[in-house]
Amino acid sequence: MSHDYSALLYDPVYAELGVSATLTAGAMAAVEITVIDDTRSKGHTSSNLETRSVGPGVYVRIPELTAKGIARSAYEGALLTFSGRNWIVRSHEIRGSPNGEDLGEVRLFLKAGA
Amino acid sequence: MTDVREDILARLLVIVGTIPNMRSAQRNNVEIPEDLLPAAIVFDGDEETQDASDLSMRPPNRPTLIHMHPEIVIAQQTDEVGSDLTTLRRELLKRVLTDIELNQNIVKTGRYGNGAIRYLGCQTDVGWMRSLYGALRAQFLFKYALRPDDL
Repeated sequence: MSHDYSALLYDPVYAELGVSATLTAGAMAAVEITVIDDTRSKGHTSSNLETRSVGPGVYVRIPELTAKGIARSAYEGALLTFSGRNWIVRSHEIRGSPNGEDLGEVRLFLKAGA
Repeated sequence: MTDVREDILARLLVIVGTIPNMRSAQRNNVEIPEDLLPAAIVFDGDEETQDASDLSMRPPNRPTLIHMHPEIVIAQQTDEVGSDLTTLRRELLKRVLTDIELNQNIVKTGRYGNGAIRYLGCQTDVGWMRSLYGALRAQFLFKYALRPDDL
């Protein structure tokens, strides 16, 4: 693989679309990271009733998390603050990369924090 | 004019509005935003008679018994949605089944007439949105006398 997708794709995209966020995982000190807000509208239909809300989420570069000492096992339950709102990571999804999954993105699924 | 069906449904809306901490009570609204949660929605029920098997010479305007099946959906969004729905269900059942206006004046249950109110059961449904979301759909049966001459 001669192409560095981090340098060619992810880093420029995050420089353009990313926003600053503060991640606090477990007892570790808070770290500053860059996230891309992936919060979308979301509805849930039950019988006749459709309730409308949002499905909050962000994309993060795994190399950035790794460089700042955040392992995959620490994702769930981490506190994430960005754009004036507080969230808790409830689940995650590895997105993969042609350079290997450890050099790709992770999508963090969030829930409302305090 | 007396329309028992409408009286029952209107009374149910009043009752669900008295459930503690319920933010909104609506009737037949099929789309609600999260800002209105917890919400209770009364859905007008289907109804049926046994008259298809009664082809006697009974005049068509004589009273007949109706079985109506309204559904009430309670929706909530919170990390503790299971406990919340349980609490809201308890308050819902208590209020519907013991409501004096429904039992004595509208449906006329027990010694007040030949009406009946029954709780048939419920189903639950959960999913993730901003927080954990849950909906509880409760079905009731109302048996009442339809008197065409009163309509």
